[in-house]
Amino acid sequence: MTQTNQEVVKEPLKYRIKGFFSKPANILLVVFLIALIVLSLLPLITMLTNMFTVHIGTEKKIYRLPVGSFTLKHFERLFAGDDWSRVNFWTPLINSFIVACGSGVLGIAVGGTVAWFITRSDLKCKGFISSVFVFPYMMPAWTLALFWTNMFQNSKVGGGNIGMMESIFGICMPEWFVYGLFPMIIVVGLHYSPFAYLLIGGILKNMDATLEESATILKASRWTIIKRITVPIVLPAILSTFLLIFSSGFSSYTVPVFLGSAVKMFTLSTKMRALIQAGYQGQGYIIAFVSIVLGCLILGINQWFTGKRKSFTTVTGKSGQVSLVKLRGANWPISIFLIIFTVFFAIIPLISFALESIIKQPGNYSFSNMTLDFWIGTEGSTYETGMISGILLNPTMWKALGRQVLLALVVAMIVGTCGMLIGYACVQRRGTKLSQAVESLAFFPYLMPAMSFGTIYLAVATSQSFKFLYGTFGLLVLVSAVKYLPFASRSGVNSMLQIAPEIEESALIFGTPWVTRMTRILFPIQKSSILSGYLLPVMSVMREVAMYTLLVPYARYLLTTMLFSFNETGYAQYGSAVTLLIIVVIIIINNLTNKLTGASFDKGIGG
Amino acid sequence: MPEIILENVTKRFDKFVAVEDLNMKIEDRGFVTLLGPSGCGKTTTLRMIAGLETPTSGKIMIDGQPVYDSSKGINLPPNKRDIGFLFQNYALWPHMTVYDNIAFGLEMLKWDKGRIRKRVDELLALLKIEQFEKRYPAELSGGQQQRVAIARTLAPSPRVLFMDEPLSNLDAKLRQEMRAELKRLHSDTNSTFVYVTHDQLEAMTLSTRVCLMETGVLQQYDPPLTVYNQPANKFVAGFVGNPTMNFIPAKLVKKEGKQVELTLLGKKADFTAKEQPGECGSDLILGVRPEFLPIRDGGPIEGRIYSTLPTGMETTVQVTCDGIMMTGVVFGSVDFPIDSKVNLDLTGDALALFDAETGKSIAFGSAKII
Repeated sequence: MTQTNQEVVKEPLKYRIKGFFSKPANILLVVFLIALIVLSLLPLITMLTNMFTVHIGTEKKIYRLPVGSFTLKHFERLFAGDDWSRVNFWTPLINSFIVACGSGVLGIAVGGTVAWFITRSDLKCKGFISSVFVFPYMMPAWTLALFWTNMFQNSKVGGGNIGMMESIFGICMPEWFVYGLFPMIIVVGLHYSPFAYLLIGGILKNMDATLEESATILKASRWTIIKRITVPIVLPAILSTFLLIFSSGFSSYTVPVFLGSAVKMFTLSTKMRALIQAGYQGQGYIIAFVSIVLGCLILGINQWFTGKRKSFTTVTGKSGQVSLVKLRGANWPISIFLIIFTVFFAIIPLISFALESIIKQPGNYSFSNMTLDFWIGTEGSTYETGMISGILLNPTMWKALGRQVLLALVVAMIVGTCGMLIGYACVQRRGTKLSQAVESLAFFPYLMPAMSFGTIYLAVATSQSFKFLYGTFGLLVLVSAVKYLPFASRSGVNSMLQIAPEIEESALIFGTPWVTRMTRILFPIQKSSILSGYLLPVMSVMREVAMYTLLVPYARYLLTTMLFSFNETGYAQYGSAVTLLIIVVIIIINNLTNKLTGASFDKGIGG
Repeated sequence: MPEIILENVTKRFDKFVAVEDLNMKIEDRGFVTLLGPSGCGKTTTLRMIAGLETPTSGKIMIDGQPVYDSSKGINLPPNKRDIGFLFQNYALWPHMTVYDNIAFGLEMLKWDKGRIRKRVDELLALLKIEQFEKRYPAELSGGQQQRVAIARTLAPSPRVLFMDEPLSNLDAKLRQEMRAELKRLHSDTNSTFVYVTHDQLEAMTLSTRVCLMETGVLQQYDPPLTVYNQPANKFVAGFVGNPTMNFIPAKLVKKEGKQVELTLLGKKADFTAKEQPGECGSDLILGVRPEFLPIRDGGPIEGRIYSTLPTGMETTVQVTCDGIMMTGVVFGSVDFPIDSKVNLDLTGDALALFDAETGKSIAFGSAKII
């Protein structure tokens, strides 16, 4: 024994380093560690320093301090407690909270109820309701907001445009119904209810039926079972779904823009942008920071809750035969109600966009008022100003669409590949500090609301040393790649975890080189889940507005930002047409990928 | 007293027939096992009796009361059938402590707190899990979870207890232990047990009667030793017993009273049946349990050792004779060199003769090779 102890001499450092880098996983981890520090930690630090510096323009003028000098003035102004601080921080904060809470509750109530009916009752037309209900989740959240205004705006509120409701039925909805917190909660809540539906429904479907059956045998009534068994078991999932919707609602930018601008109602996200554009960068960055802290807090709560001793994330068993609750007489009324409900929020919006995009004067739906000029009009025949032709004949639009699609594809290639490689490397070296560091750094951007993330990169791109990035396509690629990496790396890790190490090792024994092992063995095995890692960023880029709005060189650079500029300048027809176009592109991409690979958006992680 | 009667019970899932025309009577205080390979309909049968599954047609009676009758439209829900059900994966509620899990059924019966406390304590002691009372199921081992599940099922003192492969998730040693305890529990609780398993050893050792099923059809319903010694057909004979019965192809030469003349393995043999043999074709199969196939110098059947598997107490020997693989059991550990020549003999009076075409058994008795 003593002899062997003496023989344990550490290898020379040179050989240890060589040995370390002979494993591809280690090389990958080191590369990603450096890249992620540079791309997500450094920008955050830049933003933090920006909270304490004076910027050129408004700030310099008001504070009478040299540009770049240290100051606490931004904090003083924002948190002072006077009117300025109330209007620019506290009221938007409270608004954000109300929207986040309200939409969380609504999303869960709607999604959970539908999930229960679909998985646990003998409801009619389940297939139809399920697929139509999930559909709006594929569309950008602002489509519902746009639909809401199209539908309910009227001559008495906001900008005074006439909506469908007033024009067809002559009904004028009150202002609180059309603009403000109420519709924001409805729109955000409904937009995320399919997410709640997929999550809760998945658990209800996979939940071991014997858990409920054993309560039945012990003479518990239907209601007692739901109350004492079913709900408590899905409660952790409900809670984390709530937190997810909450944070999405809190950081939502597009919905408050559509539903709040007309009545000058701000949430933190819209305020952030307003402050930055008005030249109060420092205070904007502070708001971004507040949102990030809140995001971390929510994730912390979520992890604390799911880590408790009672928690149970996956409850599965063999028995798949669930006895469905018979709805009897209520079956048809409930089915019909759900069909109307889902159709109203999934299909009617599309029809409304199509209609809105072909009428000359808003609010008049007669044939004589219709025109295809907004789509295919040529110079001279169009009604607008600022566009030389209908959108399908317009080079600006095609360029913007082209850029967005290109951006989506480039980002998807980068993110999908990186996600897969991170998954591979982290699983290979699981348990090591290096692997943990890379995994959590890759997940870090998830905590930051898109708007704040855009703000961080704005801070970087406007700083002296990175000026060359400002307003470039490369900056958009960079920011999207980092922002969407969390989902891809998560799905990469999960898919790689499902592959037993022996599968790669048996190829290793044959002397197969690493690249061949990846491309011939690991990738094909997890094809569909890896491809969904590629698909998700495409969908996200096609729908993203908040992150790009501060970073694009001009508003009509991308299709989504172009749409917002239409909305802000009041070209409702163009706005509707572009919205419809974006939805069509998203559906085409989803179906194409679905056909080619079997991967589908609603099977991905979502969020 | 709870006696369970099944009459012409059939269950179809779309076109797939899970259980076909099942007739069975489970006596009061019996311990009946439903045995068969996976997918044979045994779990479905159990779930139908419990009321978790609705039969397509037929009639089920528990304690003289029809709980299901397709002709009269009677279908009592499980909570009205006064039964207990132990699930394969225990189905413990993850969000409740051990105490709450066990007390749940009693709460449903609206017992007062003190009485529940007393009954739960009783069960905790009976199953030796007192120290886990405040734990959550996830914090227990498989064996402990199993005990909690049993306690929860027993708490309301059901008169009939259904168990769906309750031991299959336990390791071998624990399974043996629980088997003994289940048998003990059966006599202690004084209730009727219906038990689903695919493990023939479990069925043999535990039950008072075995109901063997294959593809939804009842094959044999008899006490375990009858099933072992007088299997109704080749399937039953092959399913019960380990190592499995040897099947030796044979040709009928002459049948006279209880005497049957055969040719097998290229030799002539005389089979003496205990009772008059049934009708049969000319192709037969002689079924010989391994214990009736001793290796003996000068035995009439010559063979070559294929492999020997000593376990310590006994040795399983595989021998090829005339191209047929046969298995014999020798007491003690004996190691034969592979490929050495040995001689086998036929002994015992529980050999079985099957019709090769129908697979039905036609006679039981002894055989002698001439």
